[in-house]
Amino acid sequence: MGGDRKRTRRTLTIIAGLAVIYLAMLYSVETNYYKTMLTLVLIWATMGVSWNVLSGYSGMISFGHASFFGLGAYTVTILFIDFGVTPWIGIPAATVVGVLAALLIGFPTFRLRGHYFALAMLAYPLALLYIFEWAGYQEENLPKRDDAKLFFAQFDDLRIYGIMALVMLVAGLLISLRIEQSRFGLSLLAIKQNESAAEAAGINTWLWKMRAIVVSGAIGSTVGGLYAIVLLVVTPLTVFGVLTSALALVVVLFGGVGTLWGPLIGAAILIPLSETLRAEYGAILPGIDGVAYGAAIIFVILAAPDGIFWNVRDWLIKRGWYTRPGSEGLKMSEAGANVAGAEKVQPLPSMRKAEPAPTGGATMLEINSVSKQFGGLRALDNVTLSATEGSILGVIGPNGAGKTTLFNVLNGFMPPDGGEIRFQGESVLGLKPHKVCARGIGRTFQVVRAFPRMTILENVMVGAFVGSKDDVEASALARDALVRVGLADLAGALASGLTNEQFRLMELARAIAPRPKMVMLDETLAGLGAIEIERLLDVVRQLRDTGMTIVIIEHTMQAMVRLADQFAVLDHGAVIATGTPDEVVKDPAVIEAYLGKKWMERAAG
Amino acid sequence: MLQVDALNVAYGGIKALNGASLEVQEGEFVAIVGPNGAGKTTLFKTISGTVPALSGSVTFEGQDLLAVKPARRAHLGIAHVPEGRQVFSRLSVLENLEMGSYSDTSGGSWSSKLDRIYALFPVLAERQTQLAGTLSGGEQQMLAIGRGLASSPRLLLLDEPSMGLAPTVADQIFERIEEIHREDKVTVLLVEQRVAEALESCDRGYVLETGRVVMEGTHDTLMANDAVKAAYLGL
Amino acid sequence: MSTTQIFLENFLQALAVGIMVGGIYGLMCLGLSFIFGIMRVINFAQGDFMMLGMYAAYYLVTGFGVLAFLGVYIGPFVGAVLAGPILFVFGFYLHKFLVSRVTGIRVVSAEAEGHYAQLILTLGIALILQNGALLIFKSSPVSIRTPLSIKAWELGPFMSDGMPVLFNQSRSIACILAVLVACGLFVFMRRARLGKSLRAAADNPEAAIYMGIDVDRAHRIAFGIGTAITAIAGGLVASTISFQPYVGIEFVVIMYAGVVLGGLGSTVGAFMGGMVIGLVQQMSTLILPHQLQNTAIFAVFILIMMFRPQGLFGRTSERA
Repeated sequence: MGGDRKRTRRTLTIIAGLAVIYLAMLYSVETNYYKTMLTLVLIWATMGVSWNVLSGYSGMISFGHASFFGLGAYTVTILFIDFGVTPWIGIPAATVVGVLAALLIGFPTFRLRGHYFALAMLAYPLALLYIFEWAGYQEENLPKRDDAKLFFAQFDDLRIYGIMALVMLVAGLLISLRIEQSRFGLSLLAIKQNESAAEAAGINTWLWKMRAIVVSGAIGSTVGGLYAIVLLVVTPLTVFGVLTSALALVVVLFGGVGTLWGPLIGAAILIPLSETLRAEYGAILPGIDGVAYGAAIIFVILAAPDGIFWNVRDWLIKRGWYTRPGSEGLKMSEAGANVAGAEKVQPLPSMRKAEPAPTGGATMLEINSVSKQFGGLRALDNVTLSATEGSILGVIGPNGAGKTTLFNVLNGFMPPDGGEIRFQGESVLGLKPHKVCARGIGRTFQVVRAFPRMTILENVMVGAFVGSKDDVEASALARDALVRVGLADLAGALASGLTNEQFRLMELARAIAPRPKMVMLDETLAGLGAIEIERLLDVVRQLRDTGMTIVIIEHTMQAMVRLADQFAVLDHGAVIATGTPDEVVKDPAVIEAYLGKKWMERAAG
Repeated sequence: MLQVDALNVAYGGIKALNGASLEVQEGEFVAIVGPNGAGKTTLFKTISGTVPALSGSVTFEGQDLLAVKPARRAHLGIAHVPEGRQVFSRLSVLENLEMGSYSDTSGGSWSSKLDRIYALFPVLAERQTQLAGTLSGGEQQMLAIGRGLASSPRLLLLDEPSMGLAPTVADQIFERIEEIHREDKVTVLLVEQRVAEALESCDRGYVLETGRVVMEGTHDTLMANDAVKAAYLGL
Repeated sequence: MSTTQIFLENFLQALAVGIMVGGIYGLMCLGLSFIFGIMRVINFAQGDFMMLGMYAAYYLVTGFGVLAFLGVYIGPFVGAVLAGPILFVFGFYLHKFLVSRVTGIRVVSAEAEGHYAQLILTLGIALILQNGALLIFKSSPVSIRTPLSIKAWELGPFMSDGMPVLFNQSRSIACILAVLVACGLFVFMRRARLGKSLRAAADNPEAAIYMGIDVDRAHRIAFGIGTAITAIAGGLVASTISFQPYVGIEFVVIMYAGVVLGGLGSTVGAFMGGMVIGLVQQMSTLILPHQLQNTAIFAVFILIMMFRPQGLFGRTSERA
C-alpha cells in the first residue's frame, strides 16, 4: 500500500496532536464537573471506536454494545465490592470478560444476517439487564477507600481519570489504525460491500467477523470498567440500557462510520452538547439529552448518512484543499516489488497444486450430472460439461436457463442435489466458497460495488489476500493483476467514477489477483459498447494465453462466438449442445432454444 | 396511440436503452423481439414508470406519459403484464383479478368482465379461491393476462409471456392473446424472445438490440429476414 | 393439597394469565407486522407507539377527562380504542415526512443500505419519543384506574379445597377487545378494496404499481395502521399496568419475538406469535423468577431466529 507510510505518520501525528490538546484542556478547566465531562467524552469516544471495529467496518450493525460495556463495568464493580480486588486488576479482567462475551455472542449470532443480527444484538443487553436486576444488583456504589487510594485506583484529582481514558482511547485508535491498514480492515470492508463476493474471493468471512467482535468486545468492556470507577455508581439501566448501545452507535454515525476520526468527532460534539443540555435544562426538561441524540441521529441519517467526517472530506477534496496522500499514481513502496519484479514473484504455496502437464489439454474442470432443484423448479438438470486447461469455455443460454445457478453451485454457495464437480481431478463438493477460491478458482460477480473511497489497488487487493502470506505480497499481486488487465496507471486512483469498462476490468483484476488456475466470469460484457467489448475480449484472450482456464457466462452471443474455444448451451437447466462455436450456432436445438420452435419449422418448410 | 421517441434509459448501471423509438397505432398488434439484454423489459418498465428515463419521450394518446405518476398510468388505460408473471402470490386468483380492475375507469359490470376472463381461461374459474402462488407457471401466466384485462385496458403490454413455459403451454397462451386482440379489440404490444411466436400474429414488428431499434417491418418482411437470425445468434 | 395439585393450579393460573396477556401481545404484534412484515422496516419506535397509545388513552380518560362522561367502566376501553385513530394520523405523517425518505421502492432495491438507514432512523425517532414523552409527561408512573382491575371472574375451583382460576376482569375485557380489533382488521384486509390493495402492495410492490395502486400511499397507510393498532394495544394495557415514558423498550423485543415467531409477512401468524409469546412469558414464571420472565422470551427469540427464521407461519427464510 503505497503512500501508507506517509498516511500512518500523518495519522499518528494527528493523534498525538489531539492528545496534547486534550491534556491542555484537561489541565485548564477548574471544576470537577468539566473534568468528568472531558473524561466522559473520551469514554464514549472509545465506545464508539469499539462499535466502529465491529459495525463500522463490517456493516454488521450492532444495537447491543451495551452488553460489553455493562459486563465490563460489572466485572470491575463486583470484583471490587464483593472480593476487594483492585480495579487495576479488575479492568484487565473486564477485558477478558469482554473477549469471552464476544465469543459467546458472536458464535450463534453471526449465523444471522441483516436486520435479524441487529435485533438479536439488541436482545442481549436487555436480557442482561433483567438478569442483573434479578440478581440483586440494583445499584452498586463503589465504596471510597481512603486508606488505599492508589491501590484502588481512586484519585482525588479527577484529571487522572481523564488521562486513563486518554490512554484507552489512544490504544483503541492504534488498534483501529492497525486494522484499517491491514487485510483485517479490507476484509471487513469487503464483507460490508458484498459478503458473497468476499467469500468467493477467498475471504473466510466467519473468521474475520469473529475477530472483529472479539476486538470490539474487548475494547468495549475495558472502557466499561473505567466507567465504573469514574462514576462510582453502576446500575443495570445505565450500563445495559438502550441509551448506552445507542450512544456507542450515535457518536460513530454522527462523526463518521468506518473511520478513525468518526468516534472522536461524534463524541466531541455530542457529549458536551447533551451534558450541557442536561445540566442547564435537565431539571425542567428531563430527557432533553435523549431528544438531542435522537434529533442528531435523524439529522445525520437524512443529510449525511455516512457521518459528518466523510461529507466534510468529500467537500474538501472537491475544493482541492485536501489530497489523499499516496494517491499520486503507481509509485512502488519501499517494501514492494517493482513491475518487472512482479513477474518474478514465485508461485505461491496455495496455488502450487499438482501442475497438469504443460502440453495443455488436461481437463481442469469436470462437472458430472449435476442437478439442482428449487421447490418445483429444476434449475439444473443433469448438467455435464468440462473445461480444458488454457481454453475458454462459454456457457450460454436464454434467460433463466440456469447459468448463474451453475456458477453458484460451482463456487460452493449452494450444494447440488446430485452429481460431482472435480477441479484438477479433486472434488470440490461441499467446500465453502472461500475454500473453493483457495483451491484456485476465481470468480467475478455481476453486481459488485467498489469501495469508492479507496484506490483501485486497494479494491483489487481484497482478491489477493487468499493467495498471499502478508499484505506486501498481496499488494504486489494486486499490482501485477492490474498490469495484466491494463489498468496499471490507474492503480492509485480512487475507485469512484470509474467507467463501466474500467469497472469490469477492475473486477477482473480482483478475480485474477491470487493467480487462480481458473476464473469464472459472470456476464462481464453486459451493457458494454462494441469497442469496449473488443478490448475486454483482448484481455480475456491474453489471460487464456498465459495458461489460465476461463469459464464465461454470457448471453450476448455475438461477442462470445469470436471469443470462446468451446461452447456449452443451457436451456431450462439442461445442456442442449456442446462443441465449437461454429457447430453450436448451427445446431437446430440451439436455434430453437433462442428463436423458438416455429422459427425452425418455418426455416425448414 | 403510443409513441416512443429517442428514449434513453439507464438501469442497473448499464445504458439499457439508447435512443429507442417506436410507435403503436390503435388496434394494432405490434411485436418487439430481440436477444437478451436488448432492453425490451426496460422499455416496458419505463413506459409503466418503475424505471425513470434519462431523456426522450413517451406519449400515450397525446399525453406525455413520463409526466404522469407511475401509479396513475394504469388508470389511463394501459395494462402491463410483467415479465415473469409477478402475480400476487399470497392473494387468491379472484383477488388478483380484482386488483387488476383497481384502475378500471371504463364503467361496465364487473361480473361480465369476469365472465369474459373466465371464458378465455377456464382454469382460472376452477381455481378462483386458490392462492396465486400455488398455480403452475402456465396458469399464472393466464392469471397475469386476465389481471391485465380486468381493467378493460385500451393498450395491453405483454412482457415475454412464454418465458419459462413449456412450448405447448406457450402456444396456448399465444392463441389466447391473438383472440383477445381480435375479439376484444385491444391494442397489443408484445415483447418476446421467441421470434416466430411473436411475429406470427403481429401486424408489425421491431427488432431491438443493445437498446436501440435495428430493424422494423411488417409481419412478412420480418419473418423472412435472415438479419433477425443474425441479431440473435451473432452470425 | 399435594405439590402436584399446587403446581397444576399455578399452571392453570399461569395459562389463564398467559391467554389474557397473549391477546394483547397478539394485537401489539399485529401492529408491528404491518410495519415490519409488509415493509420490512425495523421500527425501534414501535414500543414507543405503544407508550404513546397508553398516554393517549390516559389523557382521554383521566388526564383531560374527555371521556369522563362514560364512567369508569366503559371509559378506559373506549379511550384505548380511540387512541387508534389519533395515532393513525401520527403514524401516517411520520411515515410521509421521515420514514419514507429511507424506505420505499427505490431504496428497497438498493440492498442492505436501505435497511441500515431505516434501523437508525427509527432508533432516532424512538429516542425522541421516549425522551420527549419524559419531558412532557414526566417520569412518575401513571395508570388508568378502573374498578374492574381489582375484580376477577372465577373459573372452578377444579379441585376440592383448591383455588379457582382467576380471570381479572379488566384484563379479560381488554383481551376480548384486542381479539375483536384484530378480527376487525382481518376482515378489513380480506374484504375491503383498500385492504386488498395493501396486501397486494406488500406482496409485490412492482406489480401493484402496474395495477395502478399507489404503493407509496399504501405504505403510508399501512404504517399508520400499524401504529394505530399498536397504540390500541397500549391503550388496553394502560388500565392494567402502571407505565412511564420508558416502558416502550420492554415491549420492543417482545413484539419482534412474536412477529418473528409467527412468521414474517403473515398477519395471522403475527397475532398467533404474540399469543404464544404471552403464554411463554407467563408460563416461564412457573420455573423462573418473576423478573426473568422476559429473558425467557429473549431466549425463545434467539432460538427461533437461529433454527427457524421463517417462523411458524412464514414462507420465505430470510437467513442468508
